[in-house]
Amino acid sequence: MFKTRSVLTYSLILVVGFLTICPVAMLFFGSFSKGLGAFGVFTLDKYVRAYTDPALARIIVNTAIFVFGSASVATFLALFLAYLNNRTDIPGKFMFKVISIIPMMIPHVLFSVSWVLLLNPTNGLLNLIFKQIPLLQDFSLNIYSLWGMILVEGLLDLPIAYLIIAPAMASFDVALEESSRVSGASTWRTLFRVTLPVLRPAILAAFILGIVRSLASFAVPSVIGMPGRVQVLATHIYQMISTGFAPDYGKAAAVGMSVLATSVTLIFLYRYLTSESEKFVTISSRGYRPTVVELKKARYPLFAVVALLSVILIVLPVLVLFYTSLVPYSMVPSARAFSMISWKHWADVLSDPVSLLSLKNSVFLGVVGASLGVSLSLLVAYVIVKVRTKAAGILDSLSFLSFSFPGIVIGVGFMWFFVRTPLYATIWALLIGYIATYLPYGIRPLASAFVQVHSHLEESSQVCGAGTFTTLRRIVIPLLVPGLVSGWILMATMFVRELTLSVVLSRPGTEVLAVQILRFAEDGLWGRLSALGIIMIFISTTLVILATLVGARFKPVEGGG
Amino acid sequence: MKKFLLLLMASLLSSSAFAQDASLAEQAKAEGRATFYANITAIEPIMEAFSAATGVKGEYTRISTAKFVATVLTEFEAGKLMADVVQAPLPVLEMLRERGVLADYSSPAAAGYEEWTRKQGGIQLFGIEYVGLIYNKELVQAADVPKRYEDLADPKWKDKIVMANPASHATTISWLIGLKENVFASEDEWRDFLKGLAANNPMFVASFGPTPAPVESGEKLIAISMPKYIITKAPAPLDWARVEQPLLGTPRAIAITSKAPHPNAARLFVDYWLSSEAMTMLARDVGEYVLHPGIFPPIEDMDTARVLPIRELTDEEIQKWGEEFQKIFKVS
Amino acid sequence: MEIRISKVSKHYFSEGKTIKALDDVDLTIPANQIFTLLGPSGCGKTTLLRSIVGLETPDRGEISIGDEVVWSGQRHVFVPPERRGLGMVFQTYAIWPHMNVFDNVAYPLQTRKMSREVIRRKVEKTLQFVHLAGFAMRPATKLSGGQQQRVALARALVAEPKVILFDEPLSNLDAKLREETRKELRTFLTGLNITAVYVTHDRIEALALSDSIAVMREGRIIEIGSPKKIYFDADHRFVADFIGRANLIKARVTAQDKETTLVDSALGRLTCQKRDIAPGSEVTLCIRPEFFQFLPEGEQTSTNIVHGRIESLVFVGEAYEAEIRVKEERLISKIDPDASLSEGDPITFHVAPEHCLLITQ
Repeated sequence: MFKTRSVLTYSLILVVGFLTICPVAMLFFGSFSKGLGAFGVFTLDKYVRAYTDPALARIIVNTAIFVFGSASVATFLALFLAYLNNRTDIPGKFMFKVISIIPMMIPHVLFSVSWVLLLNPTNGLLNLIFKQIPLLQDFSLNIYSLWGMILVEGLLDLPIAYLIIAPAMASFDVALEESSRVSGASTWRTLFRVTLPVLRPAILAAFILGIVRSLASFAVPSVIGMPGRVQVLATHIYQMISTGFAPDYGKAAAVGMSVLATSVTLIFLYRYLTSESEKFVTISSRGYRPTVVELKKARYPLFAVVALLSVILIVLPVLVLFYTSLVPYSMVPSARAFSMISWKHWADVLSDPVSLLSLKNSVFLGVVGASLGVSLSLLVAYVIVKVRTKAAGILDSLSFLSFSFPGIVIGVGFMWFFVRTPLYATIWALLIGYIATYLPYGIRPLASAFVQVHSHLEESSQVCGAGTFTTLRRIVIPLLVPGLVSGWILMATMFVRELTLSVVLSRPGTEVLAVQILRFAEDGLWGRLSALGIIMIFISTTLVILATLVGARFKPVEGGG
Repeated sequence: MKKFLLLLMASLLSSSAFAQDASLAEQAKAEGRATFYANITAIEPIMEAFSAATGVKGEYTRISTAKFVATVLTEFEAGKLMADVVQAPLPVLEMLRERGVLADYSSPAAAGYEEWTRKQGGIQLFGIEYVGLIYNKELVQAADVPKRYEDLADPKWKDKIVMANPASHATTISWLIGLKENVFASEDEWRDFLKGLAANNPMFVASFGPTPAPVESGEKLIAISMPKYIITKAPAPLDWARVEQPLLGTPRAIAITSKAPHPNAARLFVDYWLSSEAMTMLARDVGEYVLHPGIFPPIEDMDTARVLPIRELTDEEIQKWGEEFQKIFKVS
Repeated sequence: MEIRISKVSKHYFSEGKTIKALDDVDLTIPANQIFTLLGPSGCGKTTLLRSIVGLETPDRGEISIGDEVVWSGQRHVFVPPERRGLGMVFQTYAIWPHMNVFDNVAYPLQTRKMSREVIRRKVEKTLQFVHLAGFAMRPATKLSGGQQQRVALARALVAEPKVILFDEPLSNLDAKLREETRKELRTFLTGLNITAVYVTHDRIEALALSDSIAVMREGRIIEIGSPKKIYFDADHRFVADFIGRANLIKARVTAQDKETTLVDSALGRLTCQKRDIAPGSEVTLCIRPEFFQFLPEGEQTSTNIVHGRIESLVFVGEAYEAEIRVKEERLISKIDPDASLSEGDPITFHVAPEHCLLITQ
């Protein structure tokens, strides 16, 4: 077993390292090379030019506010929702599952555009409504601002934060809270002195993932930040590579390196802060059933808050999308607009062979990619949580490498890498790139699921005569089904809407949905874009439902014999 | 009537030129396909028409300007350039030509094009990515429509303009420099115009793509954008301001690659691309301004408009001016 | 099957300090006995058990089960736990929550690739053996703690291993259930031809269950013996103190008789169990609370009479627990619950010489 374990650890380090280091290494070399490729004469010039830019200080301040703000929004909302769902008698619990997953499927560009339609200062729908309300006549919200960016990015990062926090909240040992209550602490005091500190690893994980995500995010800074003239690192990098006809990705990578360094530091910090986490939240075979906090009078007001959140997160953007897909051009809703509604954009999209091919490719990448990705994540998470050697720590950090590199640049790193392999311009390049970049989406939920499986459950299987892989197959994996399902869902929905890598790596025959959507966006064809966006959400929803059904099949007790 | 005749003549001329070389068509057919890397969008119908007309499969990959050089050079240096034909703004193709990526091919189909469209080393210009002032014709009174570019500096347009970010969007930067060199009498006048425009606090977006939507919906009234959207976004209430001065744009260029996997299909494709058939589709369906004589986009008055190519700008110039505009427009 | 452990060491490094979990342990566990590793928490008993199973690897030494060397530092032998053919009951029972009782118990047989029919028969037999017949199709998590414990036992026994290991299996049960289960366990195990290694920190469990007990401290085995030997006749002060409540009194050997040893102590001159100790040596005198024999007033015997005064008296049901003051010493003792005594009363008692244990280490 010990041999198997270290063989497993080192082969995973090799695989994951190969996947994630290669593109980053290409960018690293590129940032030190003269010229526009990955390899050239050594120079420090790109760093000097990138870091002596006088605008950089202001941009870094903006970026810091943006990422901390949005990670806080996401984490706070996730905690709030997870607590209400798992620990209280709030009605309508089905909503939580929907809230936690649907926003994963909405392409970030579309989500941001929806918010612009709702809250732009000139004729944003909500602002128009404010004008009709007597007391709010002079009140208007401007989405094109730092707080607007924080809000939208926070909402976009909410699902991943929720998927990390909710399982921890669900498997919480209630005796810890009860002893606090018995000691005379109020519900609130218990929450702040016991519940939250015990959940610290999950909260930190969600927060740090939120930071890493928003550091790499481009959609919100570009759609909301640019019109508001709020520049963050992502748009700064974009400006570097879009000004002129021969953009220097090496120089952009030089800036990207400090983003990467920040992310890696944060991840190490996280590992340090949670190194004791195993003594926290764990379940054994006895199974805890957390007590339910009765909300009493607060029950319906809180329900209303959740309902409002789901309207904001899901109903509004999807409605806006649907509306946009029906009107001939961008129109503020009016009687005239409704009179012009037609299915033209839908017909255009569904009769376009490239759109149909991209649909097929994206479904393939979603299903096959997520399955392979989750399998790899399973092994990696196993090593990270159960083996816990120094090598396992290296593996954990490796898995974040290409994930935390700014999205607009990492694609070029992958291109520089894949062009040296026979996989270039095939769908497998996309598949491998996706898995390498979004590995943390599979690893995180599985790691938290692993933490909850008491080591005795595995050890007893070994003593019963089962080897490492039999134990994985018969004991560990069935216990991990919830984690596997959420990992699969995260990866599949991500892959269906992946843009940053696809836009660089897709070639004739390997078009994918998001690239097609971007093409429509670049032509300003919002109607077709929305129609395809809704088709994309529909596909993701189908995948999520299938995954949940398959997961539910495996959950009940196995038949005898 | 005169226009129609011209069109007819031109199409007769070039389609005969296109059908000229039967052996090329045979060889191309044997190669099976032609791969086309382009930054121009919405050309799927032309690809289909090409396949239908020649029996050679046309494959199109859209690569944005920002990634064009990086992608093509990366593939070229690794010996894996898949493109037979490349299309991009002229400066991009010039850069590729210097690296030996392009082959010298002068298409017989370009015979009818004006002399200045034939560039060194097989680069052929076929269109101009023309920029104009697009306004919402339902919300802007006819009398208010700008008659000169300078009118955009009028305070009545404050908070009503949308444009691509002049600190980063290369085409917009080039356009502003083009105004300086082709339209304004002096740099001072031009700078006054810029200051006035900046004072009107235009909303910045990443590229031309997102510029029409705010105008259609009424969030903004006027955009520095591309007239082609009047066609592609119909029936949106868009129209273009017929300014007294010429319209400006970056030339669009096409060339075949030096190590094309399908060299004959590549030639056949360029021949087809430059034919009146393809150019008519480009003008009619996509609203592009093409350089094929006598073919114009079906936008009212566009056949009489003056559309000038902006001179080739180096990246250093674009970046330098981008920084300058960043200061003038206070993008932080 | 016999288990031989020779020169096994295991060190941990934690916060810059070396912790010796196992320190050169030599031990032979005889076949077909119930053998208990007893000691306070952190003494290394669980590490030793897990090393026998193969869930942990020692740094040095050698472990063999029967004729097979399962682990050897020098010879680089490591038989993984799944190929050692053992059974084990975990402290948490480690019942797999996603399986029912049948599947939990059948698991070891399934890994041994037995036929379905054989598995069904064996599982049935084993469930009957642990009094769980008819529970096969129940979800394992729906059982009570005691029942789960028996499922775990059934799973450990079902493949008829030659060795079964227990890691504090009763510590999650409440007091009454623990007592019942302990008795059951004893019955189950004595009926089988099996070597059982049992880890606990509970001395009553150890005394009640074991054929032999090894007392451990700080990674070393201090003393091995039968429960009676450990209780009555420990060689070490630590063992005597750990295995039961004891009064430990300083004493000095004055003379050796043919059958007894004489000492001077705070309780006066006492005749003690025979020990080969030179006169003049400092020793510890150990008397367990239950061996104070109280004498009614006036009654006299020849030796080992001590006078004192009752300092406190607590009624605990089956006895009084009394604190008796004799000069400077405070002794704890058990007194019959029907004795009519009260705090402050003078008292006289006798201790039989065979219950006066002398300890030198």
